[in-house]
Amino acid sequence: MSRTMTTMIAVLALAAGLSAQHGKTEAPSLTGTWNMGLEGGHVIPVALVLKQDGETLTGTISMPTQRAGNTVDVALKGGIASGAFTLTGTVEGAKDPTTIEIKGKLNDEGMLEGRVVMTGAQGPHGDMPYTAERLKERK
Amino acid sequence: MKALSRRSVLQGMGATVALPFLDAMAPARPTSAAATAAAKKTRLVCVEMVHGSAGSSAIGVKKNLWAPAAIGRDFDLAPTSLRSLEPFRDLLTIVSNTDVDPANPFTAKEIGGDHVRSSAVFLTQAHPKQTQGGDVQAGVSLDQLYAQRFGQDTPIPSMQLCIENVDQAGGCGYGYSCVYTDAISWAAADRPLPMIRDPRLVFDKLFSVLKVGTTQAERAERLDEDRSILDWVLASVARLQKRLGPADKARLSDYLEHVREIERRIQIVEARNRSGDLRELPAAPVGVPDSFSEHVKLMCDLQVLAFASDVTRVFAFKLGRDASNRSYPESGFKGTFHDTSHHSGREDKILNFATLNTFHVGLMPYFLDQLKNTPDGDGTLLDSTLLIYGSPMGDSNLHNHKRVPFFMAGRANGALKGGVHLKAPNGTPLANVMLGVLQSLGFHDMERFGDSEGALDLNAG
Repeated sequence: MSRTMTTMIAVLALAAGLSAQHGKTEAPSLTGTWNMGLEGGHVIPVALVLKQDGETLTGTISMPTQRAGNTVDVALKGGIASGAFTLTGTVEGAKDPTTIEIKGKLNDEGMLEGRVVMTGAQGPHGDMPYTAERLKERK
Repeated sequence: MKALSRRSVLQGMGATVALPFLDAMAPARPTSAAATAAAKKTRLVCVEMVHGSAGSSAIGVKKNLWAPAAIGRDFDLAPTSLRSLEPFRDLLTIVSNTDVDPANPFTAKEIGGDHVRSSAVFLTQAHPKQTQGGDVQAGVSLDQLYAQRFGQDTPIPSMQLCIENVDQAGGCGYGYSCVYTDAISWAAADRPLPMIRDPRLVFDKLFSVLKVGTTQAERAERLDEDRSILDWVLASVARLQKRLGPADKARLSDYLEHVREIERRIQIVEARNRSGDLRELPAAPVGVPDSFSEHVKLMCDLQVLAFASDVTRVFAFKLGRDASNRSYPESGFKGTFHDTSHHSGREDKILNFATLNTFHVGLMPYFLDQLKNTPDGDGTLLDSTLLIYGSPMGDSNLHNHKRVPFFMAGRANGALKGGVHLKAPNGTPLANVMLGVLQSLGFHDMERFGDSEGALDLNAG
C-alpha cells in the first residue's frame, strides 16, 4: 500500500470517528424560527422563535388575538432533556392572565410536534396539538 | 369605398360604442384573410380563486378532487372539480403539482399572513413586502406584462374585475396592506391596479359613458331605467348602416342587441336592489347582483363584449377574497367559504369544500360558451383566447402554497395544443408554468418570471 493511500485511509478513519462522536453528543439545535401549525379547528400558522443554549431554551411565540390579523408576542422560557422540551410563558396584559405551556420534541422529519396548553384563572381553556416546520429565513 | 377603421365607433352625446369586427373594415382584402389577421390577437383572461382547493389536501390528492389521476391526454375529469369543463377538454391544459413559494413567509413576522399576502402573489409570483403603508412592493403581474407589450393598441390596455368587496383601506392584518389582499394586477412592482366590482361601472367604462364633456344631467338621464345607451347612438348607427353590406348589417344588429341585453340585465339588478327589499349583500353597490353566479356571468358577458369590440384584450378577474365568509347556496352546500376551506383534514369537510370548488369552476363553461358563440373574423373569440384559472394557495386548511390548483382553457391562436394534463415534478414553481405561458404568448426573450427556474413546456405530453 502506498504511503499516500495509507494517509488517506487514516484521514478518513479520523473523520468518520469524529463524525460518529459528533452524532453521539449533539442533537440538532432547536435555535431558529419555526412555522408552527396550531390545530385548533383548522391549522393556525404561528411564529415560534427559539434559542437553545445547552439544555436551556428561551424564545417567543406570536399568538393570534381575538382581533383577526393581530398577534401578541409571548416570551417563553424552558428547557430540553432527553429530546423532549417544555416552554412556558404568560400573556402579558390579558384580562384573564393566561399561561402558555408548550411541550414537544423534534421528530425524525426534522419537525417539532407536541401540544400547546393554555391555562387561565378558571383553568385550562385550550389544548391544541401542533407541528412546526423550520422556516428558511429569507430577505 | 374606403375601408372602415377597426377603431370606428358609434358616437353619441353621452357614449361611445366600439364595434365588432366587420367585413367593411377590410374590403380590399379577401374576407377570410382580413378576418384571420384580426383574430390573431390573443385575448388573455386571468381568473383567480382564493383558498386553493380541496384537491390540494392529502386526501384530495388521493381522491383526485382537483387534478385527474392520469397524466397526458387520456385523463378523466369525472372525480375532479373540473368536471364541468368536459365539453372543453380538448382546450384544457391542466398543470398540477406546482408550488407558489413566494406566498410563503420569509421571516418570523410574516408567519400567519398567508391569507393577506397570497393574492398579490398569484399573477406576480413575487414575494410581497410586509408593509401597511404606501410603500407596497410585489412584482409586475403576468396580465400587465402582456398588456404592456400587446395591449397598447386597444382603447383600454387591460381591465381588472372582481366579485367580492375590495374597498378596505389600510392594514388587513399581520402587517400587510389590504392592497395585497385585494389586487391581483400590478402594473409595476409598486403599482397595484384597483379592481372593479360593479358591472355598471364596467359597462360605462367599456362605452366611455363618463367621457370628458358628459354632463351629470346627461349621465343621470342615461341611467334612467328605461333608457339605453343605444338611444344615444341611434343617429350614428343609421349613418354606419348605410355603408354596410347585408352580412355586416346583421352582425352589427346582433352585436347591438347583445349590448342592449347586457345593459338590460344590469338595469334589472339595479331596479331590484333599489326596490327596498332586503339584500343578501347590503353593503354592495347597487349594480352588484346578490347572486354569485349572476354576478360572475354578467362580468363574463362584459368581458366577451369587450373582446368582441376590441376595447381591450386583457382581463384580470378575481372571483373571491381571502377569509370571506360568503356562502354559495347555489352550489348545493350552504356552509360558509372560509370555514369550509378550513376542513381540519376531515374527509367529509374536504368533500364539502370540493363542492364549492366545483361550483366556482362550473361557471367557467358559461364564459367559454359565450366566447365560442361570438364570431371573430372567420372563427370565434374562443379560438383567440387563453383563460388562466388558479389559486396562489394549495391546502387552505394548512395555509400552504403547495400543489396549487391551476388550469388553462383555450389554444391562444394555436400557441397551446390543449387536451392535456401535465404533472410537474415535486417542488416545481408555478412561475415555471407562467413563464411558459408568457413565452407561448410571444415573450420569446423572457428567461425568468418570479421565482421561475425555467419555462415548463406546455405542449408536452
